[in-house]
Amino acid sequence: MLRKLLYAVVPILVAGGMFWLVTEAERLDAAPLADLQPGDPKRGERIFQIGGCASCHARRGAEGVAELELAGGLALETTFGIFVAPNISPDPEHGIGAWDEADFLNAVMRGVSPEGEHYYPAFPYTSYARMEPQDVADLFAYLKTLPPVAEDAAGHTLSFPYTLRRGLGLWKRLYLREEPVITFPAGAPEEVLRGRYLAEGAGHCGECHTPRSFIGGLKDDRWLAGAPALEREGTVPNITPSQDGLGSWSPADIVYYFETGFTPDFDSVGGAMAAVQKNLTKLPAEDREAIAAYLKAVPEVGKSK
Amino acid sequence: MKRFVVYASALCALFISAAAVTAADDPIAVRKALMQSNAASAATSGAMLKGELDYNPAVAKAALATFNASAQAYGDYFPEGSETGDDTTAAPAIWENPEGFQEALGKFQADVAAALEASGKDGPADLAAFQQTVGPVLSNCRSCHEDFRIQND
Repeated sequence: MLRKLLYAVVPILVAGGMFWLVTEAERLDAAPLADLQPGDPKRGERIFQIGGCASCHARRGAEGVAELELAGGLALETTFGIFVAPNISPDPEHGIGAWDEADFLNAVMRGVSPEGEHYYPAFPYTSYARMEPQDVADLFAYLKTLPPVAEDAAGHTLSFPYTLRRGLGLWKRLYLREEPVITFPAGAPEEVLRGRYLAEGAGHCGECHTPRSFIGGLKDDRWLAGAPALEREGTVPNITPSQDGLGSWSPADIVYYFETGFTPDFDSVGGAMAAVQKNLTKLPAEDREAIAAYLKAVPEVGKSK
Repeated sequence: MKRFVVYASALCALFISAAAVTAADDPIAVRKALMQSNAASAATSGAMLKGELDYNPAVAKAALATFNASAQAYGDYFPEGSETGDDTTAAPAIWENPEGFQEALGKFQADVAAALEASGKDGPADLAAFQQTVGPVLSNCRSCHEDFRIQND
């Protein structure tokens, strides 16, 4: 009897132990972080706009100065449950004011909280993993200059099994990597590579424009080929250079859209992209041009059958 | 240039008469036609702002007047029962949040009225004046579509 019990219990313990090991929250290597330059808030502001941080972390509908009060609160209603963006203002109690730079880099680039817990990937750290640590340090320096907000955003509303954060360790093993999604041949124009860095990293374009598997990972073979909207109704368009996407758009058309929100047919930006486009207007022209060059250079992917 | 003006005016007339014909029985078709007339006016405005088309005060005024006609009429074509069908990209928020939609529509109407008022009898005198008057009008496209329009492929 005892032996039988042992046969049953031991594999469970072994499996449990293995699960525990492979799902542990992995932090960045500490050594390279020590070599970073002190964060530059001026450079960080540009990263802030590229990332569109305010679009989720400012209160809904905030304009002007209020857009810099990162109280959180935006609710993303997804098939996995409702994720609410947290307060990331420099308030030490309600925001991230008590964090050090390494805490911030681990949160942004590895999805790990200072307490060593996994964040849910509604916070798109699988894109941010591709950023340069120095850019993230600059962003942190910029966030420190913003007004502290002493209030908590609501918590997430999730159902089992998504309430088990630990399981995200496995998910990250599948989907978190620093390498770019699209590999270009040697000698690709500098502008395209810079656009790739902006779009695949801080800009996190793929998070909405790429379809996801049933466990919520991005399907890299349909990169930027359009997807059902994650929140609300409708679809997110294909932005690859295929005929179903931006095939007929010139790079100048794409840049004009980023600047004004108008397509070549003078249809206008809408939905969640409206806030993104507004952020894009705040970037230097060369960043908009680089992203446009990248979008014309990614593989064409047509409509899915 | 003159030919363009004639062409543009004829086009506007076409859109508005198309609206009249089907208004009674097909609100989705009407609001689509009105929105397309907005897009055409935005295209004309944009082409002048970009310098692809020489600036012409009469053309500028035609664009503003078309926006105005559409802004006055547009809101009447979202009756209950027209939430879906015919590939409409109207967002459910129009019916779920009617006050918000009315507010957005009211802002569009007010901005167009102000622009038309500022442009006077002959239209904005030069490109800089036009830019100043039409800018706030065009910003309504994004702000309203952010909440009240969805993308369907």
